[in-house]
Amino acid sequence: MNNSLLIVILASAIFYGTPLLFAALGGVFTERSGVLNLGVEGMMLIGGVSGAWASQHIGGSAWFTVFASILVAMFAGGLTALLHAFLCVTLKANQTVAGLSITIFAGALGLSSYFANVWKVAAHPVTRPIRKLDVLGLADAPVVGPLLFNHTILTYVSWVLVAASSFYLFRTKTGLQLRAVGESPQTADAMGINVVKYRYFHTVLGGMLAGIGGAFYSLAIVSTWVDGLTKGAGWIAIALVIFGFWRPDLTLVGAYLFGALQSLGTTLKARSFHISGDLLDALPFIMTIVVLVLVSSRFAHKRLGAPAALGVPYEREER
Amino acid sequence: MTNTIAVQMSGVVKRFPGVVANDGVEFELRRGEVHALLGENGAGKSTLSNILTGLYRPDEGTIELNGAPVSFSSPRDALNAGIGMVHQHFRLVETFSVAENVVLGNPDTAFLLDTAAINERVKELAARYDMAVDPEARIWQLSVGEQQRVEILKVLYRGAQVLILDEPTAVLTPIEADALFRTLRAMTAEGRTVIFISHKLDEVMAVSDRITVLRGGRTVGTVDTSTTNKRDLASMMVGRNVEFTRVQRKTPAQANDVVLHVENLGAHDDRGRDALHGITLTVGRGEIVGIAGVAGNGQRELAEVIAGMRHTTTGSVSVEGKILQSGKARAAIAGGVAHVPEDRLHTGLAAGHSVEDNLALKSYRSSLLSRFGLLRRQAMRDGATELVERYDVKTPSTQTAVRLLSGGNVQKVLLAREFSTGPKVLIAASPTRGLDVGAIESVRERLVEAADGGLGVLLISEDLDEIMSLADRIAVMYEGRIVAVIPADKADRETIGLLMGGSQLEATS
Amino acid sequence: MKSPVRLERRLEQPKWLNWAIPVISLLGALAVGAIVLLLTGKNPIDVYQRIFERGFLSTRALTGTLRTATPFAFTGLCAAAAFRLGVINIGGEGQLYMGAIGASYVGLVMGNSYPVGIVIIAMVFAGMIFGGMYAGFVGLLRAQFNTNEIITSLMMNYIAGIVLNYLIFNSLSYWRDPRSAGFPSGKPLDKRAFWPSYEIGGVGISFGLILAAFVAAAVWVLYKRSRFGFEIGVIADSPRAARYIGIRTKTTIVAVTALSGALAGIGGASQVGDFTHYLDAKGLQLNSFGYTGIVVAALARLNPLGAIVVAILLGGLTNAGYSLQGPDFPSGLVGTLQGLILFTAVAGEILMKYRVKRNTAAKKATVAS
Repeated sequence: MNNSLLIVILASAIFYGTPLLFAALGGVFTERSGVLNLGVEGMMLIGGVSGAWASQHIGGSAWFTVFASILVAMFAGGLTALLHAFLCVTLKANQTVAGLSITIFAGALGLSSYFANVWKVAAHPVTRPIRKLDVLGLADAPVVGPLLFNHTILTYVSWVLVAASSFYLFRTKTGLQLRAVGESPQTADAMGINVVKYRYFHTVLGGMLAGIGGAFYSLAIVSTWVDGLTKGAGWIAIALVIFGFWRPDLTLVGAYLFGALQSLGTTLKARSFHISGDLLDALPFIMTIVVLVLVSSRFAHKRLGAPAALGVPYEREER
Repeated sequence: MTNTIAVQMSGVVKRFPGVVANDGVEFELRRGEVHALLGENGAGKSTLSNILTGLYRPDEGTIELNGAPVSFSSPRDALNAGIGMVHQHFRLVETFSVAENVVLGNPDTAFLLDTAAINERVKELAARYDMAVDPEARIWQLSVGEQQRVEILKVLYRGAQVLILDEPTAVLTPIEADALFRTLRAMTAEGRTVIFISHKLDEVMAVSDRITVLRGGRTVGTVDTSTTNKRDLASMMVGRNVEFTRVQRKTPAQANDVVLHVENLGAHDDRGRDALHGITLTVGRGEIVGIAGVAGNGQRELAEVIAGMRHTTTGSVSVEGKILQSGKARAAIAGGVAHVPEDRLHTGLAAGHSVEDNLALKSYRSSLLSRFGLLRRQAMRDGATELVERYDVKTPSTQTAVRLLSGGNVQKVLLAREFSTGPKVLIAASPTRGLDVGAIESVRERLVEAADGGLGVLLISEDLDEIMSLADRIAVMYEGRIVAVIPADKADRETIGLLMGGSQLEATS
Repeated sequence: MKSPVRLERRLEQPKWLNWAIPVISLLGALAVGAIVLLLTGKNPIDVYQRIFERGFLSTRALTGTLRTATPFAFTGLCAAAAFRLGVINIGGEGQLYMGAIGASYVGLVMGNSYPVGIVIIAMVFAGMIFGGMYAGFVGLLRAQFNTNEIITSLMMNYIAGIVLNYLIFNSLSYWRDPRSAGFPSGKPLDKRAFWPSYEIGGVGISFGLILAAFVAAAVWVLYKRSRFGFEIGVIADSPRAARYIGIRTKTTIVAVTALSGALAGIGGASQVGDFTHYLDAKGLQLNSFGYTGIVVAALARLNPLGAIVVAILLGGLTNAGYSLQGPDFPSGLVGTLQGLILFTAVAGEILMKYRVKRNTAAKKATVAS
């Protein structure tokens, strides 16, 4: 039963969707503050390479190594996001080009590859990957086992995170203020909310989550370092934020949908289905375009959830 | 209590690149009064209040609050000290509820939002000051008057003792304005102090205890309302005596020789809702027809439909008997429609482009200005130089970006271009809003001159005085309908005011 | 607590900033790059000196540099053309692949039966059409559905890469050399489909680079002197003003995006015609020409003529990277420096909007009054 195609696809959708979910949740925070982050791919890769490096160099128990590598990846992703925040918030640069510059600077052919070379990360596989757990010994239970009890620790963290972010955004005062900053920084400022602080904090938070997403690739999915191993996941995550209408719960649905698409090739090939591998590889990218068109056309007038000030630098003394 | 000084501002100077907005302003506010800050646009009222609320920092000068010197570095500081502002452009989060907007940024709000309790408290506060608003409604669902109440509630909720209202009646119907004045009285009765910013003499006389007049960034003087009158205030404001009279026309309007005919016009607004309902209207040769109404009652949509910027859902627009294609700006331009839009700088002009480019904006496709798809720059330059001279545009050169010009000169560039296309009809939307007195006079002269020359003018304005003094006929718009058309010599302010508020409509229907 | 400097909005933007900002940005990028190098235990002066030597200081280096600069020039023009309208087409990469696919097809079909000149012209046009249509689709989605062109154009890059792989590695397509059974590769073009190259003082210059210079001049005329360019300028400055005077904004968006893709497409054609002489699926994907094009456009401040100069500059950097690559000169370094250049170019734009002033003005004013 647990070997049925549907279960396998669903289980791997969750596995492959996990890094997308982390990166997209990060995007939700960043964009809710009004900062557009096109640097997600770069932040993921920096997180990925730093996590892999840490995993190779930090000793102690296996659990400690995993924990420490994730922390390092978060820190590295956050640091990269700090650059983005500096460009967008302090220098009030064009956020689109700023994000692109982060992705080119940190991306597949940039700093992440440079670090990988200098630190010789690619030379060895990751010996202490993030493993799938057997929770309560129920991993083999029919249906619910592979779906609920046989995931990595990060998947469980991401579930908690989805609930926590929804609560934070819609039920707390800081969440309300964060949304105000993204909707109307003028209003927020007039009400004494520190726009700069909110934008910096949530951009960095977004980068930290992207960093975790990247580490999931280098420590769980690929389990070694390859230049550019996220293969556009950061960009899909950006589309997922739109697809999820800037809401954590819907973002989770989108992430698993795209996780399924990404894993479909591997799953079907393993079962010797005769489907073009190239078409399957292209599917996530094609679907991203399709989904974007659907979301942008049908609901364009209602602007479901898009923060009104997204991508607009805030300047106070404008006359 | 009344004689205690709440706020004392002395020698306040604030410079912006290219302008000195406040140039040594003196301002004294007594506790419990409604103090009007009177002045023309650009006199420095808004800057002064933005300094008092911590949004701007003064370059020079001191502020004392209840006798103690203060220096606010952010609106938060000012709010905490009990000074709150209701801006002319509302600072509201459109997608939030009324209550969410009211509690936003309040340090006393608990970390976990208790929506029910917050709604209840906002409701109580609104009732106390006689303001009707539903705390759970989203801002975008509210009328402008209701949104203003939310703004006031926000400030009251934060416990402000000094409230600054920046031109609060500009967006209100006369009836809503009266309700606002009652609310202000309720607040001063509790010992709160109100600064009421305005350039309208009537309401300043009606609502205030004292008046400070600003001109050109300086204080002209402070007077008791009971000892002054409109004429004195006007001359303080403008710096010379002003007459309130109707403009004399050289050539009478020919209302029967119709140049613009709008028939049963319907159109959507930007959100796709019906904004115009069966508008029928004519403008004759040499006639100025004024459209009076509170902003947001379909005036903008009407102008855009006639100018071909918006599609019709029903009906048609014709100029000299020829029906214009709906939603085609080029067809309207070719058909002889000139259009001075409300938003001059970003709709009527490309602000980052030079004066030269902007003057060619409607004629660059003509064979005079381009050949084989390439622009004839020299011809554009010559044309621009000539128009700049003829319309007396003050600009360093024809290559200067329009956004660097003063408001009056921006409007001159726009008018020069519109008149240069040889139009038959001119749609002028709030053509003098935000201009200084000299510029207002010159724009009005140009309009009258053009009408004398046979142009049909549709003058859309929220400034009733402007319409009363320029128009031959006055049409009143309310909720997307023309509710009345009145010859100007038979019109009186009160009737039109009532019609703008929709009251006549209810009585007759 | 006051910061020692403050920013004051510029009213006028002096012309000299147009070249001063790129120079400052470039120096800034080198400075930040030096920090990265120091942190990772390299000597920046040594690294930069070697880059300069291997990029510019010999005829051989210059030949390689100009070769590398050729695709950068086209993708740079591609990005600049679209960015000027505010359409952020970052699909130059995929559009270049498509241009290469189209041009190699035409080259293969026509190469042995038509005169040289005709074949070359046909290849250029095929590149333009393939690249243009591929980008035009992105423009169409943006104009019609208001779909975010940044993400769609980027997704199209990945899809184009998969198409390339399919054509050469995973199918027996027309482009694949049937004799390359063991290691699949593209079918070689006939000699007549080879684009000419020229030599000046020992430095080889490809036909493609010369073409790029002409195309840049044409794009410059189009944007600065034509009616169409005037309309593009108005849309970019104020969409509402464009609507006000009846410019067909949607059509213009599609046309400009397609034009932008066509420019990248010539770059793809030039890769095939000038250098590889077959459809090199792997080689095309190795260098991220498209992304470098964004750096080129940004540093050139979207000026098409400037894009040629910057392309040669970045060509030198990248070319030096190729020849220096090794344990001493890790492969990600060039990309990092390019990213830093874009980063500082973006940051440098602030100097266009604001002037930096020492924070003493307030005191001075008090004294003066």
